[in-house]
Amino acid sequence: MRQIGAAIASLVLLSLSALVFGRSPIELLGILINGSVGSRFAIDGTLLKSVPLLLTGLSVAVAFRAGVWNIGGEGQFIVGAIAAIITSRFGLAAALLASMLAGALWASIATAMRLWRNAPEVLTTILLNFTAIHLLGWCVNGPLQERGAQYPQTDIAAAALPQLGEVHAGLLLAIAASIAAWFLLYRTAEGLRLRATGFNARAAKWAGIDVDRQLVRAMAMSGALAGLAGGIELLGVTHRLFERFAVGYGYSGIAVALLAQLHPLATIASSIFFGALSTGAGELQRTANISSNVAIFGQAVVILVLILFGSWRARD
Amino acid sequence: MLTLRGITKRFGDNLAVNDVTLELRGGEILALVGENGAGKTTLMRIAAGELTPDAGTIERAGEVGFVHQHFLLVSDFTIAENLALQRAWSFASLRTLEAEAEAIIAATGIELHGPSRRVEELSVGEKSKLELIKAIAKKPRVLILDEPTSVLTPTESAELFAVMRRVASEGTAVVFISHKLPEVLEIADRIVVMRRGRVVLETKSMTAEELAGAMVDMPVVLSYSPHPNIEAIVGVAGNGQSQFAERFRDEHPEASLIPEDRSRDGIIAEMSIAENLALRTKDDPAKLIRIYSIKATGPNQKVGSLSGGNQQKVLLARELWGRRSLILAAEPTRGLDIEATAFVHEQLREAGDEGCEILLITSDLDEAFTLASSIRVMYRGELSEPMTPEVARERVGALMAGLR
Repeated sequence: MRQIGAAIASLVLLSLSALVFGRSPIELLGILINGSVGSRFAIDGTLLKSVPLLLTGLSVAVAFRAGVWNIGGEGQFIVGAIAAIITSRFGLAAALLASMLAGALWASIATAMRLWRNAPEVLTTILLNFTAIHLLGWCVNGPLQERGAQYPQTDIAAAALPQLGEVHAGLLLAIAASIAAWFLLYRTAEGLRLRATGFNARAAKWAGIDVDRQLVRAMAMSGALAGLAGGIELLGVTHRLFERFAVGYGYSGIAVALLAQLHPLATIASSIFFGALSTGAGELQRTANISSNVAIFGQAVVILVLILFGSWRARD
Repeated sequence: MLTLRGITKRFGDNLAVNDVTLELRGGEILALVGENGAGKTTLMRIAAGELTPDAGTIERAGEVGFVHQHFLLVSDFTIAENLALQRAWSFASLRTLEAEAEAIIAATGIELHGPSRRVEELSVGEKSKLELIKAIAKKPRVLILDEPTSVLTPTESAELFAVMRRVASEGTAVVFISHKLPEVLEIADRIVVMRRGRVVLETKSMTAEELAGAMVDMPVVLSYSPHPNIEAIVGVAGNGQSQFAERFRDEHPEASLIPEDRSRDGIIAEMSIAENLALRTKDDPAKLIRIYSIKATGPNQKVGSLSGGNQQKVLLARELWGRRSLILAAEPTRGLDIEATAFVHEQLREAGDEGCEILLITSDLDEAFTLASSIRVMYRGELSEPMTPEVARERVGALMAGLR
């Protein structure tokens, strides 16, 4: 209930922010809704935005559930896409698998540092984001640059996700991933151990759980989901890599997961809400000349409202 | 110097201090002894004005200095900076503060060099010296030291005693809270023994054995039926029992484990009864709820919302059901009511009947004598030889207090 309250509160605050631009809040809200769910075209746009958000949201949910603070979704998203473009010549399945593997390995660097020197993953994952951004910059200006080397971007990927109307098949993959994540967390012994570790690692240890192993697995799964998000975005939307490929989906995943109270199935609804917010904000920019940054403002408001009412913590 | 009359203090259902009257006299070192939970610290916190009593009156003349058992120092600050926290406000350079610190330290007669060293670099002994300096620098009329020697080496303890004697000779009333009898006998002018919130003895001279007898609440239950498969480790909390239990856990992962801190190490409060049980047993949770008579709305109730006794029953069900060969039970009845305590004891006995070896770590002597056929004492991380209850009865008090 609070979650819906937080979503509505953020919409109200967003609309009121129209006063800053000298517009009417009702008008702004109208454009926001119309631009995100008001037409077939708008809905398609919202769904397209929701796919990466759903996967990065799941990535955060799985990690946070296990008590691992993976803030590195953005970097894992990027390396997932890099792996996908390199392997796309071996086919779609290979590219998707490679993106998951790359994300998992990238996240596991942070795990290794945590286990080796007890380096907090909150810091290492976020720093690995910057590393990944520069890795991407180097790739598109160097080894992966397009033939002819005209722009800092790659060639079109050799494989692409099939289209279902205007939306690519990544939507189905993302929904399947959230059902799989739910099943894993709530219907398997492994998921039970993972959640137990997240709630109370000391007690988990007394109950005979290998806490370090849970950390390793949770981080790898979380990284794989964020990597898959990057792979799907590449193979379904952009089809090539360029410097500004990552536009914050990794970070937005945190807001998505928190609004969903870290529940994999609720993450579907939460990602659609944030997808709509982002699409609607694009429309605001086009028709009312209000910066699309209001979408980021909206995310912040949601998180702040959730924290204020103390309901961001994991609950079942 | 300070007089307490009819002091009573409750924490919830627990009567921590029960109608205590005590006078602290200038120039005298008073030792306040008793087991953990006897009410010593609570009484002295009331004397210092840190707690308000539920009943009773306090007459206080002048400042009370209190050196707590746990350090209250800013570890990122230097010695000088920590001392400067007590100083009146004014602009001062770091060099001034260090010079002042040196003067303060010199005035107390305690040796502590290098006021520019950061507290986190100091040894435990040096930190406790700094705490003592902080307290003495305020020139208190009453100085209370709560278990000050628990972290000190014998040499450091001797130094501390010299300081205590000097402070007392200057007219301050010194209170020394301890459960180490050799030290108490060495330093105290007067000894007050507390047990279960009451002053049970006040004396000027006594032997260690007599004192140990007064301090330890030897249970007088008439019919014990110790179980041959239960061994107990007793001792004052904080003598290495937790470390022992953790080592045991790591060495015997197959054992049934009841950790001493139920809510921190035992149950997972946010998860349901069914989920907590499923961590260790595949059996039907509804059945276990019935067998262990857990009072709950159903298997899906969150364990955190159960009473302490029912949380412990969930833990017992999880650890004991189906596979018992070796059990470690640390403080298994802490905080439980009589009924729940009896249930836990019954479960342990039953497991023993089935041939299971049980190691019981407890600070409740009643519990140890009720259940165990062999008793060891843990003091400063070391275990005594196993004793029969008859032998233990004579020796436990002295061993717990560090007498050989």
